[in-house]
Amino acid sequence: MNARVDFVEGARIALLSLRTNRLRTVLTTTGIGIGVATLLAILGITQGLDSSFANQLASIGSSSLYVSKMPWVQMGNWWEYRNRKELTLSDLEVVRTHSTYATAVAPIVDSNEDVSFLGQSVSAVDVTGTTPDYLAVSGFEVTSGRFLTDADDDARHPVAVLGMDVVDGLFPMSSPLGATVRIGNHPFTVIGTLSRKGKVLDSSQDLTVLIPFKSFVGYYGKRRGLSIGVAVESPEVLTAAEDQLVGIMRRARATPPDKKDDFAVNRPEQLAETYKQLTGALFGVAVGIGLITLLVGGIGIMNIMLVSVTERTREIGIRRALGARKRTIITQFVLEAVAVSALGGLLGTAVGLSGAKLVSEITPLAATVKPLTIVFGVSFSGLVGLLFGLWPAVRAANLDPVEALRWE
Amino acid sequence: MLIDLRDISRTYHVGGEEVRALQSVNLTIDRGEWVAIVGQSGSGKSTLMNVLGCLDTPTSGRYLLNGRDVAGLSDDELADIRNREIGFVFQTFQLLPRETALANVELPLVYRGLKAKERRERARSALDKVGLTERMAHRPNELSGGQRQRVAIARALAAEPSLLLADEPTGNLDSATGEEIFKLFEALHRTGHTLCLVTHEPKLAARCPRAVRLSDGLVIADGPGRQVALENLRDDPRLAAALRHELT
Repeated sequence: MNARVDFVEGARIALLSLRTNRLRTVLTTTGIGIGVATLLAILGITQGLDSSFANQLASIGSSSLYVSKMPWVQMGNWWEYRNRKELTLSDLEVVRTHSTYATAVAPIVDSNEDVSFLGQSVSAVDVTGTTPDYLAVSGFEVTSGRFLTDADDDARHPVAVLGMDVVDGLFPMSSPLGATVRIGNHPFTVIGTLSRKGKVLDSSQDLTVLIPFKSFVGYYGKRRGLSIGVAVESPEVLTAAEDQLVGIMRRARATPPDKKDDFAVNRPEQLAETYKQLTGALFGVAVGIGLITLLVGGIGIMNIMLVSVTERTREIGIRRALGARKRTIITQFVLEAVAVSALGGLLGTAVGLSGAKLVSEITPLAATVKPLTIVFGVSFSGLVGLLFGLWPAVRAANLDPVEALRWE
Repeated sequence: MLIDLRDISRTYHVGGEEVRALQSVNLTIDRGEWVAIVGQSGSGKSTLMNVLGCLDTPTSGRYLLNGRDVAGLSDDELADIRNREIGFVFQTFQLLPRETALANVELPLVYRGLKAKERRERARSALDKVGLTERMAHRPNELSGGQRQRVAIARALAAEPSLLLADEPTGNLDSATGEEIFKLFEALHRTGHTLCLVTHEPKLAARCPRAVRLSDGLVIADGPGRQVALENLRDDPRLAAALRHELT
């Protein structure tokens, strides 16, 4: 008697038993299936969120840094951030002069304004005052017309480059080039349009208008304070560039070594981290619920296996009398448990995947499931069967054959 | 010599009380013998049968089966001995209800690790021997009691064991069917099988070449079946006369 025979015979008996107790099989399978489906649906939705968010972050500009007064993600004492010094144009010059990684450095000031044209209006547009370098920092492209020039800036020209949401809102049919739009209360001539970047989380990056930096300051003042956008050659040097920027800024501001930075160097990944912190807890709770469901399913399997062992006490006695070793009996019952739970896993995978798909169809959440997740789902449920089937199986094998044969 | 029991004792503990089911039993059985084991219920005959069949291990004493001492063997080794050396026939047939007759007969061969084809051939020929070729695709609940017992005997024969152990094999059958089964055992004995028949019926014991009587875990008689059966009825001349009459 070898392990192969144990396995083949065990599998045959397991399938026979599942067929014989159909209702029981279906119910036990359902228990495990619900657990696996819950887990997979959660994993699918989370993976979908992660990947769509990663795409969104890439659109911000994956090789840019933003120096500003406050970090994008604020933790700790808000007053401490608030009392910091504003950045100045001389900070900008220092960065431009000393950063060896920077390929473009642009000042950024912005304000929310309504933009209107011929009675049509788009509200809460992010109006940014900046310089030609901003094109490289932001990752936008100019799809029609031209971008801002240094001449526009120096002369404080009232010209504007429109993001696609603004174009869609004000010029659904015609070309905006050459048109005069009102930004707040001031007229600007449209000189170009930007490529579409899409949304990050829930805010559109295309709801924007770019105007020359000096024009912005002239019309609106430095409402939100100055930020400095820095583009570097490639994402690989981001960390080095960030370290260098911190050094440059501290020197420029003569920050004593024992004091913390009174400015922040932001990069898009920080948003990702915040997002992960936010969703991580939610994800953990959801996975926990899924695991508990699986645990309940596993206990269901153990319960049904104990019943099965009791019911088949005589069968076990017969098999032992005819020469089955303990190991053979264990294999038989464990395989039965694994078969039930793997079946449940398969069922749960199907339901879970359809659930995730349904969610992505009827809600804005994108759900994608990696093939590995499916493998994980089925093998994990099999493992549950193995774990919870083992004890009943060992009990079956340890029955005294004489007693078992006498069982009524 | 096939079986050699020396000073075999088996003691149980039931609720703090010691039950001495077998007390220093000495018994030898040669190859080809047919021995009936008789006694009242509680006399220890079931325990003896379990010990002989390696389902139970003696508390003390030596049990040589085919010259091999069974006492110190592991659970796996005992399972293998049951598989190869012992063919069990039980009063309640002990067939697997969900399997066909053929699959039931194949079972010990599965545990021996034989290939499916050889298993099938041997199981078929065993069913042939008990006259059940026609019914081998049926499940036990589609068979009569006598047919079920024949399947059980075929199962025991398929393994080609050294010893056939039958525990009250006719106990659950009507007398005509029981007689058929007994005749089958007679035929098996004639073809050289070693048989051990546990029974409480003096009539059956009397028809066996040899009988061993147990009482309170002790062997109290061992001799030709007819003699042992009649000896026990000494105090009841009327029953003894009836048995004598029946045997002639």
